[in-house]
Amino acid sequence: MRGGVAVAPVRGPGPAASQFQSLSSKSLRTPLTAAQQEQIQQLSNKRLERMPVQYVLGEWDFRDLTLKMRPPVFIPRPETEDLVSLVVEEESLMHKKNSGPCFPVSAPHPVILEIGCGSGAIALSLLHKLPQSRVIAMDKEEAAVDLTRENAHRLQLQERIHVLHQDVSYGSAKQLLLWGPVDFIVSNPPYVFHEDMASLDAEILRYEDLDALDGGDDGMRVIKTILALAPSLLKDSGSVFLEVDPRHPDMVKDWLQAHPNLLLVLCAVHKDFCGKPRFLHIQKQSR
Amino acid sequence: MNVPGLFHFASLLREVRAPGWRPWILGQKHFSLPRAPLLQAGGKKNSLNLLGLTEAELEEQFVRGDGPGGQATNKTSNCVVLKHVPSGIVVKCHQTRSVEKNRKIARGILQEKVDLFYKGEESDVFKERRALEKKKQEKKRRAREHLERKKLFKEMQQLDKK
Repeated sequence: MRGGVAVAPVRGPGPAASQFQSLSSKSLRTPLTAAQQEQIQQLSNKRLERMPVQYVLGEWDFRDLTLKMRPPVFIPRPETEDLVSLVVEEESLMHKKNSGPCFPVSAPHPVILEIGCGSGAIALSLLHKLPQSRVIAMDKEEAAVDLTRENAHRLQLQERIHVLHQDVSYGSAKQLLLWGPVDFIVSNPPYVFHEDMASLDAEILRYEDLDALDGGDDGMRVIKTILALAPSLLKDSGSVFLEVDPRHPDMVKDWLQAHPNLLLVLCAVHKDFCGKPRFLHIQKQSR
Repeated sequence: MNVPGLFHFASLLREVRAPGWRPWILGQKHFSLPRAPLLQAGGKKNSLNLLGLTEAELEEQFVRGDGPGGQATNKTSNCVVLKHVPSGIVVKCHQTRSVEKNRKIARGILQEKVDLFYKGEESDVFKERRALEKKKQEKKRRAREHLERKKLFKEMQQLDKK
């Protein structure tokens, strides 16, 4: 099996253990039963069919959370863990600036909109890390909406998240303003250049929702849609955080300059843990 | 199955290295650079007084395979390789499925090793381990004594029967 130290959640006598470290030393020494061996064979067969490990196991970790995974809902990538960190840091900065006697500290803060929530990784990590926050999460695929809701319930975060089945390309801003203008818009939108889709690994092509990856000819189709919608959804000085292809930062900067009416400015580009420009911080200017 | 490039290292230099090699005096406390955040000892290590590490003296590498990364890749390798430049100590962490967690754990392990390196027997890490070792020996000794007493008792019982 590839990567990590994940062990197939083999059922059998003894407490359920989903990872190597949590297995008792006794169960480590106990030989596998025939039923367990058969189960491992089934799981291995799936992996041999190039099914991603995360789908074989039916779960995967993202930051501090363990989330259910189910094909074809997009599997969160490790880079995206840093996208969550960026939002959390910005919130802490904004909170310091705004806290004071005249600011309603009791109001939910921040209010975050996630576009393309997939399994709910980003939305739920933010809720977990920011106990006062509220999230509106949307995805155009019903399977993703269902999975996000399921993960929210498993983590007992369902009271603080609204999951909407909606396509950002064909909706209006109105439905997304149920809690008024938002503090943050966050997204890991499909950003693969269409011409690069065919060269993706079989794991991705055979099992994951390709609409979660294909960003059109320049990889920017959904990015542009989000940025065009952002001004009507964001509070003044609110931020958009996006994960993108390493070629996008300059393209987005040019596009924003060509659309000055949006009043959006690219204020930072952050690298991922492999040193590639990966995250954009865009801010809405006040009028 | 051919998996080219799976273990190709993507090198990442996070901060500009301090120029030259700073001579370290054993036992001297390290003062952090003003802009780099002090690494906090996490979790159970909070009670130990360990030397702080700054991001400026660390070099991080990740095993993520080559290729574009991001959405275009779905490899699960997220091993963190972390080096403390002044001492040359390197640790690897692949304990969890989360990159972020592995980074935290790697820093914790590295902090312990660096502390041991510079402080030797004065290190809280060393003292804690020695204390644990002592406890274990004590336990063994007591268990042995208990068994001896039991044996003796049984022998006495046998003698009484005769």
